[in-house]
Order: sequence, then C-alpha cells, then structure tokens
Amino acid sequence: MSSTPSGGGSHAPAAVELRGITKRFPGVVANHDIDITVAPGTVHAIVGENGAGKSTLMKTLYGMHKPDEGHIHVEGREVRFNSPSDAIKHGIGMVHQHFMLADNLTVLENVVLGAERRYGIGAKAREQIRSLSAQYGLGVDPDLLMEGLGVGDRQRVEILKVLYRGAETIILDEPTAVLVPQEVDELFDNLRELKREGLTVIFISHKLDEVLSVADEITVIRRGTTVATADPRTTTARELATLMVGGELPVPELRESTVTDHVVLSLDGVTVTSVDGRDVVDDVTLGIHRGEIVGIAGVEGNGQSELIEVIMGMRRVSSGSIHLEEQDVTKWSTLRIREAGVGYIPEDRHRHGVLLESSLWENRILGHQTREPSVHGPWIDRAGARADSERIVAEYDVRTPNIDVIADALSGGNQQKFIIGREMSGRPRFLVAAHPTRGVDVGAQSAIWEQLREARAEGLAVLLISADLDELIGMSDTLHVILRGRLVAEADPSTVTPEQLGSAMTGAGLEGDEHSENRAGDRTDEEENEGGA
Amino acid sequence: MSQELNVMEPVTRRRPKGWGRWRLLTLLMAVFVSLAGLRVITGQDMLTDAGTVRTTLTFAVPIGLAALGGLWAERAGIINIGLEGMMIFGTWFGAYFAWTYDNPWIGLLAGVFGGMLGGLMHAVATVTFAVDHIVSGVAINILALGAMRYLSILVYADIPGAGAAQSPVAPSFPTLQVPWLPEALAPVAQSGIFLVSDLASLVIGLTTRMSALTLIAILLVPISYLVLWKTTFGLRLRSVGENPDAAESLGVPVYTLKYVAVIISGGLAGMGGVFLAIVASQIYQEGQTGGRGYIGLAAMIFGNWRPGGLAMGAGLFGYTDALQVRGGGAAIHALLLLLAVVLLVVAVWQVRKDRKGIAVAGFLAAIVLLLWYFSTDSLPRELATYSPHIATLLVLSLASQRLRAPAGVGKQWRASRS
Repeated sequence: MSSTPSGGGSHAPAAVELRGITKRFPGVVANHDIDITVAPGTVHAIVGENGAGKSTLMKTLYGMHKPDEGHIHVEGREVRFNSPSDAIKHGIGMVHQHFMLADNLTVLENVVLGAERRYGIGAKAREQIRSLSAQYGLGVDPDLLMEGLGVGDRQRVEILKVLYRGAETIILDEPTAVLVPQEVDELFDNLRELKREGLTVIFISHKLDEVLSVADEITVIRRGTTVATADPRTTTARELATLMVGGELPVPELRESTVTDHVVLSLDGVTVTSVDGRDVVDDVTLGIHRGEIVGIAGVEGNGQSELIEVIMGMRRVSSGSIHLEEQDVTKWSTLRIREAGVGYIPEDRHRHGVLLESSLWENRILGHQTREPSVHGPWIDRAGARADSERIVAEYDVRTPNIDVIADALSGGNQQKFIIGREMSGRPRFLVAAHPTRGVDVGAQSAIWEQLREARAEGLAVLLISADLDELIGMSDTLHVILRGRLVAEADPSTVTPEQLGSAMTGAGLEGDEHSENRAGDRTDEEENEGGA
Repeated sequence: MSQELNVMEPVTRRRPKGWGRWRLLTLLMAVFVSLAGLRVITGQDMLTDAGTVRTTLTFAVPIGLAALGGLWAERAGIINIGLEGMMIFGTWFGAYFAWTYDNPWIGLLAGVFGGMLGGLMHAVATVTFAVDHIVSGVAINILALGAMRYLSILVYADIPGAGAAQSPVAPSFPTLQVPWLPEALAPVAQSGIFLVSDLASLVIGLTTRMSALTLIAILLVPISYLVLWKTTFGLRLRSVGENPDAAESLGVPVYTLKYVAVIISGGLAGMGGVFLAIVASQIYQEGQTGGRGYIGLAAMIFGNWRPGGLAMGAGLFGYTDALQVRGGGAAIHALLLLLAVVLLVVAVWQVRKDRKGIAVAGFLAAIVLLLWYFSTDSLPRELATYSPHIATLLVLSLASQRLRAPAGVGKQWRASRS
C-alpha cells in the first residue's frame, strides 16, 4: 500500500494483508496490483465506483476464485484459499450483497447449515446462537422462520452466520445497498459492537458519507487498483470522490439556456384515477419545449410514476389530453408513442429497461423492434442490431467485454448508460428520464448528465424525474413540485435550494415563492393522513 | 384408513407453536369420528370394518411410497414425475428376482435397486445435464414401460403362465399377526356401538395378516421425517431444495446431495413397485402401476411436502380405492353425505371470513350433493370405479391454498461460474 500513513505498523500483524493481487477474466483485468493492509480490530472501508473491482477483490479474499498473481497474508502467515471453506478456516467470513438465505428454513437452520460439526443442529446450536446474538447485540431469535424477517434482520442473520463459524475478519459487500437509513444506523451500531469485541470488519461501499461515519481507515480503488489510503478523520467526501473517479466530482449543471418556444409535449388537465378511486394524477397541465429539461420534484409515491406511465401509454388517462407537437397521442399505444419519437429511461431498469438474461444486442432491439437498424421487414436484422450496439457501447462508454454478454453481467451504471444510448438511438423528440442516475456510481453519473446536456443542446425536450434534489436543481430549466398528484409549485432552479424544495415536496410550501404557497399549504393535513401510498 | 397413522404419526410441525403440533392428530381423529358417525347414521358397516382397513392399507402403501419418493426428490429441488417409471422398474425387478431366487426379500432388494437405477438416470439428466425435470421424468416413464416389456419377452418367453405382459407367481412376504387381540376384539367390533366398535375394527384391521413390507413402508414415514428434519444430512438436503446458492456458499455439496436424494427417491418408488407386484398381486403385470406414481405425487402435494401430510393423502386415496374395490357403491354413496356436510362447514367458514363467492359455491354444491344422496341409494358402478380419481381432483382443488413447495424446486441449477 503505497501511501499508507501509518507505515505498516510493526507491532501486531495485520489481520489481512493483500500484496500485488491481480485477477484477470476473459477480456478484462478486474484487479491489478492491489495492496491493502487491514489492521486488526478496525473497520476498514474499501470504496470505489461500481465496476471498479471491489467485489472481485473480496471474492478473491474469500476464496471464491484464485488470484492470478499476488499473495494473501492472514495474521502474518501466507495463505492460499481454494474455496470459501478455506477462508472460513482462517477466520474470514463474508456477508454477500445478495443474501444467501433459505426462506423456508428457520434462522437456526440457516445459521448452522454447513457448520453442523461445530455445535450440531439442536439445542446446543440454539444456545450458541442465542449467546452470540446477545454478545454482539444482534437480537436474533433462532426459531423464527426466515421468510418472516425483514431486510435488516436478514442481514443480522448473515452476520451471525459468519460469527457462528468463528470468523475474526468479516467482509461486508455493499451492506447498506438494501437498507433504509434507520437500518443503516442499526447496522453501524452492530459494526461498532463487533469492533469493540475485537473483530475486524472489511466494509465495501460506494456511499461516501456512510464510509466516513463508520470506518477507521479507507482504501480507494479505481479501475481495478488501489489508488490511495485515507484517514476518515482528515478526509472529506469530496476528496474521496475525487480519488474514486480520478478527477473532479461531477456537478449537475446546465450551461446556457437552449429553451425555445416550440412546445414538444403538452399535457392538458391530465387526470389519472387509480383502481381505488383516488386521483393519483390530478389535473396536471404542463408544456415541455424543445431544448428544455423540465424537472419534477416530489416525495416518491405522489404520482410521478403514474404521470410517466400515462405519457408512455402504459396507463390510460381518466380525463385530459396529451399532445406530442400537433398530434393527440392520448389514446395511442406505447409502441406507437415510442415510434413517434419518445424515448423512455424507466425508473426501474430491471423491470422495464432491460432483459437481464439477454445479451446486450438483443436488449438493443427492445422498444425498437419495428425500426431500422434493428429489423429489416419482418426479420430481425442481427447484423444491424449488433453494429448499432457496438456504436452505443463505444459512444456511451459502456464498460463491457463485448456485446454478447448478458445485461445482468454489467454493473448498474453500465446498464443505465446502455439504456440511455438505446433510447437516444431512435433520435427522439422527447425523452422521459425517470431517475436516470439512481444506483449509478459517480463516473457514470457525470457521463449521463453530459449525455442529457448534449441531447438538450440538440433540441431534445426532457421530462426529468428524480429523487436526487441536487440533480433536479442542477439539470432542470424549469422545476415543478408534485404533491398528491398535483403540480403544487413551480420553482426557479437558479435560486431554489434543496431545503426549500424539500419543504415544498412535503407540502409545507416553497419559501420565497409566494404565489404557490397557498396552494401547497392547504394540502398539508391530507398529506399527513395519507402516509406513503 | 388414515387411522393407523394415528399410531406412529410423527409430530411433523417443526414450529413449536402449541396447537400446531397437534393439528394433524386432531384432524385424523376428526376424520375417524365422522366416519364412525356416518357408519352409524347410514348403517354402512363397510365404511370402517376391518376388511376395509386392511384393503385401504394395501392400496395406500404403494401410493404412500411413491409420495415419499416424491418428497425426497422435491425437498432436494428435483421434480420427480418419473416416479411412475421407477415404480415400473420396481414391479418388474421385484417380481423377477423374487421368483428366480424364490425369496421375496431378494425381490425387494432388486426392486429397490431397479427404482434407484431409474432415479440415477433422472439425476444424471436433471442434475448433470440440466434437462427439464418434467421432460426427463416423462422420458423415464415411457422408457420404463418399453424396457420392461422387452425384458419380459426376453426372460419369460418359455415360462408357462408368463409372457410379455406378466411374470410367474412370486413368493409372498411373511405376514405379521398379533396373537389373541383380534379374536378378543371381534365381538366388540360386531357390537355396532358408535366409535367403540369402529375403534375395535381399526385395531383388528391393523393387527391381522399385515405383510412385513407394509410395516416397513409405514415405518418409512416417521423415518423419513426424522432423517429429513432431525439430522444434519436432512438439513443439508432440504437447504439444497430451498436455496442451492446459499447452500453452495456454505460448502454444502449441492450436486452430490441432489444425486443422493433422487436416487433414494427412486428406491422408494421402486419399493412401491415391489409392493404392487409381490404383496398386492403376487405377479408382475404390465400396466400394474396404473398411474400410482402420479397419484403419489398428488398425495405429496396435498400433504404440503411433509411426511405426515402425504401419509394422510395416501390414506385418503387408498380408502376410496378400497371402498370401490370392495364393491362399496353404497358405502361411497354414504360418503356423499359426509362430503355435503363438509362443504356446508366450509361454506359457513368462508362466510365468516367474508368470502361470499366461495361460500355460495360451497353451499350450492352441498345442496346438490344432498339432493343426490337422498334421491338415490347407490352410486352407479361406473362412477364408483373412478371415485379415487374424483377424490384426487376434489381434494387437490379443495385443499388449502397455502401449500408451500420448496423454493428451489424444478429450477435448473449450476454451480457458480469461475
């Protein structure tokens, strides 16, 4: 570790030491020359963008595959792991990002599985689980059925599984990705408890504020190699992010205005009534111009999804109309709307954006199955689709070995870049961008913003929906706040602050924007009764 | 039948929740009491007499063994629709070897081994080559039918009384009998007192001339439970059927366990075949299994992938089969009354749960059944013959919708890449 500030402490041997680890896969070098020293009894964070090689590295350490080069030392002795069980024998355990639990078994059964020799599968094991749970403050009941447990509890069971096997070093792979903020705090309390008991925790993440709050030491990985080690007490999130992406942290911002007065998409009194009779989108009137990005801010579940679905023809309006330039598209099918030049970046890319088990070039055809170059008459134009997929991969910097890999093999950011490339390839007039940078790392985020800016400069009209307020403020020409299906306020992106926007989203009104205050204010009570629908 | 299960029924609920562990026993007793009541009301002694108990056992055992086979395979995540074929292997090998060595036990070994061979084929196809489980199972069923006919032609060509479609008579298993109990109880059984006489008939049925293989088969139910739920091996096997990825990540040999489970499954089906060939009829006959492999699978699903439940399912099918075979058109007719009452109870229950549609449907069906019951005296022969199949349909459609299959069942699984 080139820049270790502590200078490779000579007293206690490192809990884990990785030296010059290199791992190649066909077509890619996932890790090269990794050097990490993890001091015992600490929480050591490893940060990096998605696809930087963090998970590959941890799989190497956990014995799921062998490194092509380099050495692993555990407590001063060199080790070679052929399988996870070798790693477990040396006191290394791993909590996977996707839980490895069987729903129809009890907690006890899940924990003892594979380690039955330690305490059997009966009363002794139950006793052991209870005492471990109490010792580390995990609060796990061994006799509950797994399927009844929530995400936080499942994670604690996973940690318990590792402890039960006598692990002294615990690897947590993106443990907070699936947790809500409160659960994250609980997890961090658990981690501090583990540390107090003398265990070592290796914590993988790309969420910098979390890393800074819990870690004792941070190693940054970029493009498969270690670039720096940082002390969280003296480092800021911005510095870390700069190290992670190898440059300045991207800022969402628009340069000069490109807004024209030509309206591309206009919504006129659009109302959507849900099955239970509520107006989930309530009398929305909105015009989006050529070269304009219109942002919609709102707490999730206030009608944004329905608004998008109605524009895309996936849901029908109860009243009102939608015009795409001169044409009334209110009753059109989704395919027809797409063919008319509307692109769609869906909010949940796994449900609506890609087929995870299909190759990239097949995914390229989705939504363009009636258009050149993907098809030729009734036939799929394989060569055309492949060539265009290559183009997307190159132009949008999608990091993939080739276009024949399945979409699932790509990181979230790369999937998203590919989706954007595909949606842009139809030369759309109008683009619906729902959470375009959700679950995407910093590097991909700046690339996506840049693509949106370029498209806007070329005259694309964009409807942007996001939960990231900085993104909304920075990337919008016009900003609306949606509350219980109504557009309750319009904010000026050049002056509004995230705090003001946040209060408007909860119905407290947009300070300094008087004309909308009353409209937003009178709905506060209902909002509270409603909860999250 | 279903009642002899009272005796050795393991407590299959693993969640220690007061009433949960007694539910099965309560259910069995309720069924028995209502049958006893029905006998008293309708005067159909055949409903619970000792002969019916014995016949029920004879019909339930092969179905139960097939169901146990299904349980082992599905708990490890493999759908075994090839049970039928594996039973066919069991019938042929059982009869041939028992006849050749004049020893039923060798026949049993051979039949179990034949079934295991079928299981091995299924395992190779589904586990190693990731063939769709249904396709492989159906292929085994077809293969077994043809292959056994071929072998019969080969070995039975010159044997008098045997041929392509059947084997010579095989020796029987010894039968077990409790010395004086049946004689002592006979008068009680004859007395016709509600519940007392029924209980006596049940005991007589269970203590006279029971084949050794029947006893083994019955014991296999609690044994399967103990092995699958109370041992390390069983836990690992079930984990493979629930979440093979998790199991693999914990160092459980997934492929090996799947192989073992499917082979055991085949062995159990084979044993069911031996029972059909040697105990139920003493010869191998083509088409002898008559879809019992499939009914076994249905019994297992009805039993919610649990040994106690599947034994109940097998008992139910065996019971209707027994009544039918014993010419009990009138007895089955009496069952209509019971069914009508059950439907009424279900309807009332659904009203309380505020599900009007089901309630009304149940109510109407009950009225139709009642009308039918009171307007006729006996079930037409044609219909009586099919009562086991109708029972299968009815039970599977009425059985609780909360059935829970192992989460990983039927899915192709590959060890993680690289």
